Amino acid sequence: MPDRPGLLMGPAVGVTLLAVAVAFAAFCLVDLRRARQVRYLPKWGWAVIVCLSIPWGGLAYLAFGRSGPAVAWTPPSPAAGEAADPAGQRAPPARRRPPVRPALIEASGLTKRFGPVTAVDGLSFAVRPGLVTGFLGPNGAGKTTTMRMILGLETPTSGTALIGGRPYAGIVRPLYEVGSLLDAGALHGGRTAWAHLLAVAQSNGIGRARVTEALALAGLEPVADRRVAGFSLGMKQRLGIAAALLGDPPVLIFDEPAIGLDAEGIRWTRQLFTQLAAEGRTVLVSSHLMGEMAQTADHLIIIGRGRLLADVTTSQFVAANTRHDVLVRSPRAAELTGVLTTAGATVSPQDDGGLAVTGLDAPAIAGLAAARGLPVHELTPRHGSLEEAYLDLTENSTEYRSAPAGATS
Amino acid sequence: MTATPPGPVIRARDLLASEWTKLSATRSNAWTLAAAALATLAVTAIAAHAIGAARVPPPATGPVNSLTASFLGYAEYAVLPVSILGALAFTSEYSTGLIRTTFTSVPHRRAVLAAKAAVTGAAALAAGEALAFVTFLLTQALMAGGHRGVSLADPGALRGVLAAGLLLAVVALTGLGLGAIIRHTAGAIAATVGVIYLITALCLVLPGPWNTRIGRFTLPFAAFQIVTGHPQASLLPPGESLLVVLAWPAVILLIAAVFITRRDP
Repeated sequence: MPDRPGLLMGPAVGVTLLAVAVAFAAFCLVDLRRARQVRYLPKWGWAVIVCLSIPWGGLAYLAFGRSGPAVAWTPPSPAAGEAADPAGQRAPPARRRPPVRPALIEASGLTKRFGPVTAVDGLSFAVRPGLVTGFLGPNGAGKTTTMRMILGLETPTSGTALIGGRPYAGIVRPLYEVGSLLDAGALHGGRTAWAHLLAVAQSNGIGRARVTEALALAGLEPVADRRVAGFSLGMKQRLGIAAALLGDPPVLIFDEPAIGLDAEGIRWTRQLFTQLAAEGRTVLVSSHLMGEMAQTADHLIIIGRGRLLADVTTSQFVAANTRHDVLVRSPRAAELTGVLTTAGATVSPQDDGGLAVTGLDAPAIAGLAAARGLPVHELTPRHGSLEEAYLDLTENSTEYRSAPAGATS
Repeated sequence: MTATPPGPVIRARDLLASEWTKLSATRSNAWTLAAAALATLAVTAIAAHAIGAARVPPPATGPVNSLTASFLGYAEYAVLPVSILGALAFTSEYSTGLIRTTFTSVPHRRAVLAAKAAVTGAAALAAGEALAFVTFLLTQALMAGGHRGVSLADPGALRGVLAAGLLLAVVALTGLGLGAIIRHTAGAIAATVGVIYLITALCLVLPGPWNTRIGRFTLPFAAFQIVTGHPQASLLPPGESLLVVLAWPAVILLIAAVFITRRDP
């Protein structure tokens, strides 16, 4: 990995550990010598020190880092008003939010194969700041795998995923850069909500005050000291969202956050995501439900079988895929078509002999037909739903499809 | 809700604090450790009382002498639970999926391994030394009648007690390394028990000189050589045995460090 952060633990820790090990060995040697169990102390001493140093030294080397170029954390540029703050670091904990540094999520040619199965196939997209981006696809489309590759949990077979221009593995304190929730159930049941959040926070040097804040933000303060084994899925989702918000990061990634939440919880997540995006953050939310995303997301990335199917704004997708037409059946379809076209409607004949009419509503069509004495057998206003458009789009790429009802009879 | 990163590098103390929170906030760990300590104390105390009450003093050399009598219950009641706790340190995270949260928070996986090993090893060392000194003092007091006990000032006694405490850290780290390699709780526990006990059991049934030739490189025999004041001549001398004892967790952790970045959680 090219961007491995160097000097992770500091050489001092490694040297100290090694020194303790060597000192312990030396103590044992001296003791053995006194007990007359060692005859040649100098020879033994070297053997002990060399043999102890090789495995433990190798371990220390692996753990404390091959010193690659350290990926330094660049502090957020202070706002113009705060730049002149004479107190500097010791500024009072003002409730002013520092501006969020915008960061893109970029995937290019992202591919992941598990043996013969291609889970993600040459996926390229960019997730922009300031928007809630919905990541849609049927079950098994590769949403979770993609997110895991973005978060460095899965090594791509080929292609790259970058956050703010660098791979996730190169970020030193990721919680300050990217908040994520992949699997709300991934908790140790024996720990309290507070202890879980604290352990996550401490690993990135985040203090206790912020843990309390995050718990309050997720509405979990009353259950902070309860063990998570007793939590409902909704409470676990809230705990996961609290963990994602710990570092106040400019990029947020949520995998199916609405699962298990009640109506109030879903509304809360919707408002939260919109608010986070409004603050200039990059918010990527996955879902397999179109209806939910249409209400939350500003932009949609739709995938199926690991391939990109659509990368559009929600309003474009809605406009292109929502139809309002009237289905008309008449034994004198040709005449009726002429009448309706003259009246300014667009008529497209259907396969089954019906007419799909846009531009006129049902009463107007009925009026025109009655005036000409044309019989009408059916007059049905149709509102194609977003869900249908989404199903049409992903139909050919659904991994698991149920047999059509009645097909077995 | 302003959060400011403290600096440009991951600090060891952040990771250590995080792992310590995980270890100490899990109540089952403390209960298991306490139960193991009590059981060890009880069993060794009963054995010591029996030895102390016997007409014949224990032999000065041989497998059971005054010093090793302090640690009779160790192999079963202290080593087994502590090594399993070590294995669980990793496998509990893998089985719940929590490991993904951990690796997302700290993408440098070897640093996670090092921090977990440091915290688990230190906790096991502290608990082990405490248990070793308490069992030693208690059992030697019970055997003191008829000058059958030894004191810490006797040659080799302090070293034996210190080594007995160190042993718990060694088996905890062995379990932890195997947990990181195997990643499944049942498999990791089986492997830990295998490495600590079964290889030794196998050596006991091997024919003559091979039982000691191979057996001296196993954890229990090597541990016996450094804990007892009167090592067996057929096994390795205490200095080499100490190396064997330290090499087991070191090699296993080294293998874990290589694997942990190669396989995705």
